[in-house]
Amino acid sequence: MSVSLLPIDHLSMPKAFQIHASYFNPSTTISRCRHKCSRVRCCDRRREGSARTKKNYYELLGVSVDSSTQKIKEAYRKLQKQYHPDIAGHKGHEYALMLNEAYNVLMTDDLRTKYDASIGHMTVQIGKNNYVNVMGSSSWKGPLRPQALFVDENACIGCRECVHHASNTFILDESMGCARVKTQYGDDDQKIEVSVESCPVNCIHWVDKEELALLEFLIQPQLKQGYGLFGQGWERPANVFMAAKTLSKQLRQQAEHNHSNVRTTVEEETPAQAEARANASLKIKMESFSKIWDSLNEIFG
Amino acid sequence: MAEPQYTVASDSETTGEEKSSSAFPETAIGIDIGTSKCSVAVWNGSQVELLKNTRNQKLMRSYVTFKDEVPSGGVSNQLSHEYEILSGAAIFNMKRLIGRVDTDPVVHASKRLPFLVQTLDIGVRPFIAALVSNAWRSTTPEEVLAIFLVELRAMAEVQLKRPIRNVVLTIPVSFSRFQLTRIERACAMAGLHVLRLMPEPTAVALLYAQQQQQTVHENMGSGSEKNALIFNMGAGYCDVAVTATAGGVSQIKALAGAAIGGEDILQNMMQHLLPNSENLFLSHGINEIKSLGLLRVATEDAIHRLSSQSSVQVDVDLRNGSKICKVVTREEFEEVNLKVFEKCESLLTRCLRDSKVDREDLTDVILVGGCSYIPNIRNVVKGVCKKEELYKVINPLEAAVCGAALEGAVASGISDPFGSLDLLTIQATPLGVGIRADGNSFVPIIPRNTTMPARKELIFTTTHDNQTEALILVYEGEGTKVEENHLLGYFKIMGIPAAPKGIPEINVCMDIDASNALRVFAGVVMPGTDQPMAPFMEVRMPTVDDGHGWCAEALNRTYGSTLDLVTVQKKM
Repeated sequence: MSVSLLPIDHLSMPKAFQIHASYFNPSTTISRCRHKCSRVRCCDRRREGSARTKKNYYELLGVSVDSSTQKIKEAYRKLQKQYHPDIAGHKGHEYALMLNEAYNVLMTDDLRTKYDASIGHMTVQIGKNNYVNVMGSSSWKGPLRPQALFVDENACIGCRECVHHASNTFILDESMGCARVKTQYGDDDQKIEVSVESCPVNCIHWVDKEELALLEFLIQPQLKQGYGLFGQGWERPANVFMAAKTLSKQLRQQAEHNHSNVRTTVEEETPAQAEARANASLKIKMESFSKIWDSLNEIFG
Repeated sequence: MAEPQYTVASDSETTGEEKSSSAFPETAIGIDIGTSKCSVAVWNGSQVELLKNTRNQKLMRSYVTFKDEVPSGGVSNQLSHEYEILSGAAIFNMKRLIGRVDTDPVVHASKRLPFLVQTLDIGVRPFIAALVSNAWRSTTPEEVLAIFLVELRAMAEVQLKRPIRNVVLTIPVSFSRFQLTRIERACAMAGLHVLRLMPEPTAVALLYAQQQQQTVHENMGSGSEKNALIFNMGAGYCDVAVTATAGGVSQIKALAGAAIGGEDILQNMMQHLLPNSENLFLSHGINEIKSLGLLRVATEDAIHRLSSQSSVQVDVDLRNGSKICKVVTREEFEEVNLKVFEKCESLLTRCLRDSKVDREDLTDVILVGGCSYIPNIRNVVKGVCKKEELYKVINPLEAAVCGAALEGAVASGISDPFGSLDLLTIQATPLGVGIRADGNSFVPIIPRNTTMPARKELIFTTTHDNQTEALILVYEGEGTKVEENHLLGYFKIMGIPAAPKGIPEINVCMDIDASNALRVFAGVVMPGTDQPMAPFMEVRMPTVDDGHGWCAEALNRTYGSTLDLVTVQKKM
């Protein structure tokens, strides 16, 4: 079944998609990634069940994605007090393992950034404990997979075909008049396959999950700055794939830039100076972020 | 007494399975077996209580004397004089000897003790014997420890009026897993079941967590996080831990430890007082042992006095024609033991670095153990931690056993209506575990200071074309080369499908549970398939037995590099 999905995918690849093929690596076929997800780790046979029901780290700890490290620590300790094998007995072992893994990832800055990107929350870090989230709009059902569904709302004609075939995955945004992914893999594979196939304008794409958050963020209409009555309103990039590529490149450059900045400013400073610096850098970052948006507007507006 | 002193309740290496049985109706007692002194504590329903022996001692000397028909230990035995321990009939310092092979420098240092420690330097268990009516009677550190534990158990049973089975024991951080099995073996010989083996500073950390929680309850304040550094130095071992504590949860951030302690300081001082002492006592004649005993007692006394005085007069007649009359100043003492202090400093620095806690963020610095009275040790700790004051509300000699008793109550499922047992220790691994790969390298799979329980896996591959078998050598330690680490066990993976080198994926997974039991899983997966090619292996470590110093060499001689593995770099 999964094999038959592949050619359809290629056929349904729209123009925009073919140009920016970097978002979709044809070699990572659907069948292959599915194999990867379901591979039994040789040592984990008995725990296959628990791996399947693996929760998002944030859900596991019961904290929101933008929680501070302090919050995460508190939540972790509270849960450990309930489930640690010292208290819960040997049955707490698996749970404590997951807690430790989640804690380790979320408490290590770069691991957390990577993890957030992988689950669809692009975070831009500001200061030590502040995270600004570029949130993807769709949630995930079941384990994370390397590929996700994305509806190019610019192309969508609002025909409801996909909603009809896979109602748990797609919804129709009545105000915008176009379809959107509500839950990744909300229906079984066959239903999703049919719904992708049924789209008359081929606007449903398989994209890498790393790109998903950015795409979903950019496809949301943003308030356009107007001059008096003119030019005001909502807009979004005409070519969302290109826009995502540009934005991610700029974010990466910015991150590198910040990194090199951090290295040079390791001299000692007073708390007041530190505060001032933190405030200033926060401001700069906010500005540069809005600049990115503005420049995107210029390119695609 | 016709009955044997101890019975072997379980001789199996793997006592771990029964550990998992959940309901422990009785409160486990906490035992701190020190190199020089032992103590027992128990949660009595409202607080931790230290048990006293019939002579009203809370701290009992750790030794077993074989002088009489039946061996007797420091719990029940009435000493006429300190010299009795040093007569050759008593074995002590068993904590420094247990689970060590005769190539170990710590065993070599123990040759200067008044009983017999014989080494052949080939990696087997050293020969240990006590002098009984002018004959060397052989024994083992495990046996000595077991006899001692039987006495402790009997004492506790009389006082608590119930049979004792479950115990929480404190152990040094630097103990290898093989040494832990020896401790478990000794407990099994004494009819005790080890609920937890707790690194000493983490037991102190738990006591600290309880104290902090109580002060929070009293002040009705919010339980903010407190970082504490615990430095524990006794007669045999030095341990450091950094813990983050909040709301009764003690989270161990980093551990470090080494086999240095008061015994080394004592030996250095003896060497300083009598420069040729090393050679003098190696023959272990009755007169030499007597002289050695006299010197030891005099030196010990001098060291104790140097903690409060700046210089002491040592006057001792060794009765072999030589007399020592010397004034020792504190400066001399510090110079003689410079290496010991340096080692302490490096342990402290390493532990702080590993914990990723800034010195400024340390709320408290806790100093415990017998050596905590030495002024220079206090200075070293204060200096490294940049703290003027040390944590005061803790008894340096009783902290570890109190922590063990708390852990015993928590792990036994006892709860306290006043929340005094609303505690938890989240332990970290003191040493890394991994396998041999990439030639002679040690590839850690679970690095040190990983939060327990822990599970990690790594993928390896074959080094030869059509290699059908692979040897998994499990090591524990910190060295980059396997020789620098402890061998824990070995097994062979069979049924690797014939393929060019680098193709089969050998997945090695390690799992450490909360009671510190290590299991290693290994199996072969071919790229493109879902299922392991052959049934995977599950091995409980350690599997090595006494004489394991030989194993690595023998394996190398028999197999060479034919069954080697290399690591697979993660594809990004």
